Amino acid sequence: MRNKSFRQFAPALTALLALTPVIQADELTQLRDQLHALEQKLLVLERKQEIKDEAAAAAAPATPKVTISDKGYTLASADGANSIKLRGLVQLDSRLFLNDGNVLANNSFILRRARIISEGTFAQNFSFQVVPEFGGGSPAIVDANLNWTVTPALQFKFGRFKSPVGLELLQSDSWTFFDERSIVTNLVPNRDLGVLVSGDVLGGKLNYTAGIVGGGADGAQTTNSDFDNEKDLVGRLWASPFKDDAGSFTQGLSFGVSGTYGREKTAAGRTGGYRTDGQQTFYSYLATTSTDGPNWRVSPQLDYRTGSFGLLSEYVVSAVNVRTSAAGKLTELQNKAWQLAAGYVLTGENSSYAGVVPANNFDLSKGTWGAFELAARYAKLKVDDAAFPLYASPAASAGEATSFGVGLNWYLSKTVRFTFDYYQTKFGAAPGAPAALTNAVIRQDEKSVITRFQISF
Amino acid sequence: MKFKSLLFTAVALALAAGAHAKSIELLNVSYDPTRELYVDFNKAFAAHWKAKTGDNVVVKQSHGGSGKQARGVIDGLPADVVTLALAADVDALAAVARLIPPDWQKRLPDNSAPYTSTIVFLVRKGNPKGIKDWDDLVKLGVAVITPNPKTSGGARWNYLAAWEYAKRKLGSDDAAKEFIAKLFKNVPVLDSGARGSTTTFVQRGIGDVSISWENEAFLAIKEFGADKFEIVVPSISILAEPTVSVVDKVVRKKGTAEVAKAYLDYLYTDEGQEIAARNYYRPRNQAIAAKYTANFAQLKLFTIDEAFGGWAKAQKTHFADGGTFDQIYAK
Repeated sequence: MRNKSFRQFAPALTALLALTPVIQADELTQLRDQLHALEQKLLVLERKQEIKDEAAAAAAPATPKVTISDKGYTLASADGANSIKLRGLVQLDSRLFLNDGNVLANNSFILRRARIISEGTFAQNFSFQVVPEFGGGSPAIVDANLNWTVTPALQFKFGRFKSPVGLELLQSDSWTFFDERSIVTNLVPNRDLGVLVSGDVLGGKLNYTAGIVGGGADGAQTTNSDFDNEKDLVGRLWASPFKDDAGSFTQGLSFGVSGTYGREKTAAGRTGGYRTDGQQTFYSYLATTSTDGPNWRVSPQLDYRTGSFGLLSEYVVSAVNVRTSAAGKLTELQNKAWQLAAGYVLTGENSSYAGVVPANNFDLSKGTWGAFELAARYAKLKVDDAAFPLYASPAASAGEATSFGVGLNWYLSKTVRFTFDYYQTKFGAAPGAPAALTNAVIRQDEKSVITRFQISF
Repeated sequence: MKFKSLLFTAVALALAAGAHAKSIELLNVSYDPTRELYVDFNKAFAAHWKAKTGDNVVVKQSHGGSGKQARGVIDGLPADVVTLALAADVDALAAVARLIPPDWQKRLPDNSAPYTSTIVFLVRKGNPKGIKDWDDLVKLGVAVITPNPKTSGGARWNYLAAWEYAKRKLGSDDAAKEFIAKLFKNVPVLDSGARGSTTTFVQRGIGDVSISWENEAFLAIKEFGADKFEIVVPSISILAEPTVSVVDKVVRKKGTAEVAKAYLDYLYTDEGQEIAARNYYRPRNQAIAAKYTANFAQLKLFTIDEAFGGWAKAQKTHFADGGTFDQIYAK
């Protein structure tokens, strides 16, 4: 029975055994195919990722760059040849005048400056700047100019810009030692219209600027169109001969001279008034006075920085020919002014013409306070005695102003600064001044406290 | 006397300056597989130009998918010359950016195509999937490597060659469209250029067959070994005519018009044609073509004009936004 049963199943078993290697081989082939398919899928996925990465890497150089920093907001093309930058400046001041007999309504808050600054570069060598002003009185364009950089040694500027004369005036409004510039700035032109050529030569040790501009009165800005047919020539040489002498005591020494020369033709109303540190007028020409004939200015100037210490000094002679009527006598008046200002950064950061950068921003949670700077200034302005009484009223204008100021600057960050300044200005009477002065500002010394909260980026 | 001496010195200095050899830099914006061709050609041209004028010329190369490269030039890549995969991409420089005149193709012999090529199949050694003709590329389980026709000139030649084969065999454009749709279902990766596809197939080991420029297939075998790959020549393919042009607007600005023109003219010289042939491009010069005849398979070739009415029409029908490729690939 047992043998019979075996005989019955033997052929089937034999066939099954014979097939086993075939089944195993088929399975192996299937497994190999599956493995190959899986391997291909994996390779495809890897390759797709590789292609994606290559495309991203290739696209990166063409992607415009957006930069947001304490220097403003910049949108630049991938190669940097074209860019547009948005910056801003807001200054809120409080002015408090002491011992002025309450005759003046001058204690105030004032939005001193509120500017949205647009700057940009095209085709690498062309840049522009447009600065509208919304602070102070009515809105106005402060700067609007195009700069063409042929080489660093040869650049052209067209438009409206700061006249390259006053040292402190050329410094950014944001980073002067004091919140108001000294009385010396009264004697130099402010913004003007025209063309400048400038450049850095001798390895950047000498900067030159020369140009032709519409011509402005002392401390004044021209409007957006030229005043008359006459033009002024302006120029400045600024040397930093030791700039490459790393570590030397003289490395931060720069000095130079600037000047203007031009003519005015019966330009009534072109004579600016002179203002104190507290921005009150202490000298003005009579309405009958007009400028006629040549005018010129010369200003030697110096800036020195070493570590936390900074010093700035300038002297200006401003000469103008004036008369009271077309047939009136022509008189050349030479007004002179000078200042010496210094600052010291108490927290150890470097003093700089371009502002102090705190090592640590103000942050109570970290116990950091930013940077503190002490500043002091002495300045004097002397009006030509010949101005009185024909061209200026000795009852309404001082013949001389001597001011000193001390200040504390708190840099909460690179962009935010709080300043606390005290100024005191002593007025010298003009020749022939009566006992009863008509201008309340000059009846006593001006003592003012000006504080400013500023954001600048 | 003093003035005369100064004048003489000035003139002498000016002449000396003028006699000084100039250094000229050209940018050749080309398509993917021409890297090796133009490395050889640029050397030869620089030597030729130096001998002829005494000036040194350095030709910089830029390579990528032909369509992508054309877009780059349109967007401002300062190419003195373009040597692209097909006329449609050069046409774009005239039509979109007016960098060259519309009749640019008439400025050089052979419709500004100094060499030709065709489309073949590169398969793995032993041809494990038995690829013989275009039909085999649409079979289930065959992975086909071809670049993206939107960015690659080579891919457009591939696509059109397959389309025309299917149309002739199956009898209609509809059938051809279905054939191409099946083919692209077998494509696992779309590279942006022909060189990328070669990398995918040869170096990354993906796919069973790569539809390839003939010269690129030869180069793959030369570089990676005949023991690893082999070429399969289909029954019919397309005569691929890569075209060249000076970029007028750029050379005018850079002052390189003369040398750029000479550069392209040199492609038609015996030396230029020899270099093309040595790099597996089919030369136009018949004598040189005969010398290299063993390198190139004899197969039935049709032209773009015969099959599609020219590149402008083919481009619009198949590769423009919303064209047949978009319709197929969006599915």
